[in-house]
Amino acid sequence: MNDEIGVASETAPSAWRVPLTDLAMPECDVQAVLDCLRSGWLTMGPRTQAFEQALAGYLGSPHTVAVSSGTAALHLACLAAGIGPGDEVIVPALTFVASANAARYVGAEPVFCDIRGAGDGGGGDDGNGTGDGGGGGDGDGGYDLNIDVADAARRITPRTRAIVAVHLGGYPADVLALRELCDERGLILIEDCAQAIGARVDAAGRQVGTVGELGTFSFFSKKQLCVGEGGMVATADEELAARVRLLRSHALSSSTWDRHRGHDPAYDVVDIGFNYRLDEPRAALGRSRLERLDADIARRRELVRAYRERLADMPGLEFAWDARAVERSSHFFFPILLRDREARDDLRARLKAVGVQTTWYPALHTFTEYRGATPADGLPRASEAADRHCALPLSATMDERALEIVVEEVRAALA
Amino acid sequence: MAATETSPELPLFDLRLEAQDLEAVAQTLRSGWLTLGARTAAFEEAFAAQLGARHAVAVSSCTAALHLAYLAAGVGPGDEVIVPSFTFTATAAAVLYCGATPVFAEIVSRERPSLDPEDVARRITPRTKAVCVVHYAGYAAAADRLRELCDAHGIALIEDVAHAPSATLAGRKLGTWGLAGAFSFFSNKILSVGEGGLLCTDSDAVAEFARSHRSHAMTSGTWDRHRGLTDTYDVVGLGYNYRLDEPRAALLLSRLGRLEADIARRRELALRYRELLAEVEGILVPFTDAEVQTSSCYVMPIMLARDGLQSVVSARMRATGIQTSIFYPSIHCFSAYRERFPDVSLPITELASRTELTLPFYPHMTAADQDRVVQSLAEALVT
Repeated sequence: MNDEIGVASETAPSAWRVPLTDLAMPECDVQAVLDCLRSGWLTMGPRTQAFEQALAGYLGSPHTVAVSSGTAALHLACLAAGIGPGDEVIVPALTFVASANAARYVGAEPVFCDIRGAGDGGGGDDGNGTGDGGGGGDGDGGYDLNIDVADAARRITPRTRAIVAVHLGGYPADVLALRELCDERGLILIEDCAQAIGARVDAAGRQVGTVGELGTFSFFSKKQLCVGEGGMVATADEELAARVRLLRSHALSSSTWDRHRGHDPAYDVVDIGFNYRLDEPRAALGRSRLERLDADIARRRELVRAYRERLADMPGLEFAWDARAVERSSHFFFPILLRDREARDDLRARLKAVGVQTTWYPALHTFTEYRGATPADGLPRASEAADRHCALPLSATMDERALEIVVEEVRAALA
Repeated sequence: MAATETSPELPLFDLRLEAQDLEAVAQTLRSGWLTLGARTAAFEEAFAAQLGARHAVAVSSCTAALHLAYLAAGVGPGDEVIVPSFTFTATAAAVLYCGATPVFAEIVSRERPSLDPEDVARRITPRTKAVCVVHYAGYAAAADRLRELCDAHGIALIEDVAHAPSATLAGRKLGTWGLAGAFSFFSNKILSVGEGGLLCTDSDAVAEFARSHRSHAMTSGTWDRHRGLTDTYDVVGLGYNYRLDEPRAALLLSRLGRLEADIARRRELALRYRELLAEVEGILVPFTDAEVQTSSCYVMPIMLARDGLQSVVSARMRATGIQTSIFYPSIHCFSAYRERFPDVSLPITELASRTELTLPFYPHMTAADQDRVVQSLAEALVT
């Protein structure tokens, strides 16, 4: 893995035996980028359009807009949805910080809600009743690190405008239940699919990002579909798509590409927009890699199944989610749960000592920046899950040897 | 880029990358490490050294660099930032991102379309937090006088250096006169990469702020964690994703080695243009031959002497296969700004916007190309 692609040997002073993530870059990807560079046209143009069309086809979403990052996608989604000062946006507390920051970029306030966790900690099953949710819709999906629909419902106030549903680690949140809730209460549903491209929300195979009014995606270098830095907004609503397109490039009424092709050189600025553009080399890379996305996800799933089989009998180790969720997930990371924070930290230290890289997601309300945002009743399940979970190495390039190293080292550490 | 059915024979800008540039990107892709790491650090170090600045922080665009520069200067709700209107919209938009108000100031004249320090001085109020100077087309604005003015008032000078890498004023590189300088690596720029930007500063505090806030104000990055330096992180502010990535850093580092040669070629072309244009009736050519020597010569702007001809001249030139552009329409005249700031009136800026035309300009332009552009312009001006 590492030595084959040369990351560790070339640039990393401390080589991991098994890094958290790794990626293969076949020659067809490299050539796609070089072709683009040779063309001399680097700013948003035909390659970005082709990438967007391919993504729309992949997702089954009428409109896709390529942007500079998953964070930019969330920001533009909030703007397009008309969220602004005075509004509240409900965000699960266990996610990457961008999920909450986006609300603040538009002057709104993120309101944290809890995750489902073990599902018996007061979350109840009321409000979670579609029975076909991704991870824990029927209350028996295993330990669920995603948003608790009932808790989200409790935190709705007259100022609430939207709910951000995060599909953590690639495992679909119960967006079908959230869709019902948002429809009942007149709220906008934004799906944060930064970690979940290719995950399915139901047995029919509906893609994440197509249930909410807007779905946001990330093509960061660690993601299932990666280009370095990049992202996308998907929506079925033509007006929302037009708004996202406008605001990603300074709300200019015509683009550099339009003007190159003969559009009048005059343009207007019709709103306060941003520079959230992707560029052509990254679009070319994304388009090339999209061809292998499903195969990569299938490989990730195979590895997760193998992990779960080989670690099933370990005392003090619990899996998140259940076998059905594994089938629907697109597997950004593979989480395990230990007894408590001490056990988790101890496992991570032992794995680090033997060259196995792991990570974990702090809950947002424990960050210095968000300490004041903790609700009075706390977020007990997000706090507990943050303390107990640990993500093991996972990438499409991971081979049997690397998998076996991790399994053996985890078993040894917990023995 | 090769001419196509709809693209002009002589485009406004044309980028040619060399084999070594492609190789640098290919190597980076093959390494499998794409996010902010060793290559970005190497580019930042090389750019800072070239500039003579203490710090260079690579970001996703010049817009991002301006946003971070204003934030680092303490610009927030209720504050004012004085900016030219004769610039790209980002200069002012980034002020609005901070919740502050852009206050538009005049340019000196159509012959010198740079921010006028005297007009800036008149617009300073107790709420003014910063002044942003744009070095239009790569030619130095009065950064020295503006620096004195800002120091006297205890406000920050920010330089929008999108057009002016390696240009100088009194022997000092542009971007190093203020608290921070914001560079652009957009695809039509002198040092281009697609989308990209950079903030330079001599202030350790500004650099630390920019580094932190370009990546969500996290106390450690993916690269640090990959190297085993830290196991977790805190979030200590409201940050953004304004990161560059490694393939773009590698391309920039490769191209940076040719920056001075590219600029030298641009200066030759600019002087030759000026010679040819001196023979054309009905136009003004901003700046002087002497200033070309210290400019980075990003674009070739001219002003039509008479008002009301801009769109017809542009269309006539287009019909002969020559693309022109307008650098820039006045920001305060755009719908989005008229709604917010309806009373702004800047007569010199507005006339410059109505009469400016930007001619095709790129390092591999030939003398014949230039002759053709100037002939087309001269013919388009004949009524």
